[in-house]
Amino acid sequence: MPTNYYLVLSFILFLVGTGGVLMRRNTLIVLMGIELQLNGGNLAMLAFSRALGDEKGHVFAFLIIALAAAEAAVGLALLVGLFRGRQTVNLDEATLMKR
Amino acid sequence: MTASVGEQVVFWLLSALTVFFAVFTVTRRNPVTAVMSLVGTFFCLAGIYATLSAHFLAILQILVYAGAIMVLFIFVVMILNREEVSPVSWRPTRILGVLGGVYLFVKFCHVADLGLPPPLATVPDSFGTVGSIGDMLFRDFVYPFEAISLLLLVAIVGGVVVSRSHQKEVDADLAAAARKEVHDRQLHDYPAQLVDEEAALPSPGGHH
Repeated sequence: MPTNYYLVLSFILFLVGTGGVLMRRNTLIVLMGIELQLNGGNLAMLAFSRALGDEKGHVFAFLIIALAAAEAAVGLALLVGLFRGRQTVNLDEATLMKR
Repeated sequence: MTASVGEQVVFWLLSALTVFFAVFTVTRRNPVTAVMSLVGTFFCLAGIYATLSAHFLAILQILVYAGAIMVLFIFVVMILNREEVSPVSWRPTRILGVLGGVYLFVKFCHVADLGLPPPLATVPDSFGTVGSIGDMLFRDFVYPFEAISLLLLVAIVGGVVVSRSHQKEVDADLAAAARKEVHDRQLHDYPAQLVDEEAALPSPGGHH
């Protein structure tokens, strides 16, 4: 398949993830949206890697997967901390630093 | 080079499923359903990676994403399973952000149609295998590799520190306050006897 099909697909994934991050109130779903964005980026990386016949993109995708694991761990720990302190996972209620 | 029919069928099937599961993920009210459809997204994406001859990354996607990260999500969902009253936030700035994203998407489609080079007709058989990627990773990318291992270490420590229970510190503060109250009452009831001891006592509740 031509590379631009893969690129459009990766952009759709990124856009769906962005919609989840921006519009949802549940912090868990927001974290899942961030995972979708990272996967969109990964797909573009691999598509360009295949088009150019260069494996550097694969290495970067590998590093991004490790980064996503770290991000998920810290994000979920923050979420558990938020729930302990305020008994909510609603992002609109997490306004401690606004005041 | 035009793609064969089988290749096209696989691509369209997998990409349609990927987008379907992704939309399902961000629109579900129940977090468990969202996590399950995210796992579906990752499996379909692994298939798409395989069509790009990224075999190692496809396996890694299933192992790390659909395996490890999603287990983490499931555990957190089980700890704090809350149904939302109003799941979607309709603030104007957020809608503006999404509309900006859609506009960018339309522009991007115009740019993407301008003709990037088609996939190379031939890549070596070792393209995307563990051997060749490991070779590149440990020759040219040793420094980023070590940096990412450091990042993972910091993430582990940070996760433990952030999610640790603060109950023990709260208990210690309460105990210190109780000791102080007892001491004050003694001082109030028997001022003469405790006058000498007062100087020797450490300041109550003082480890802040």
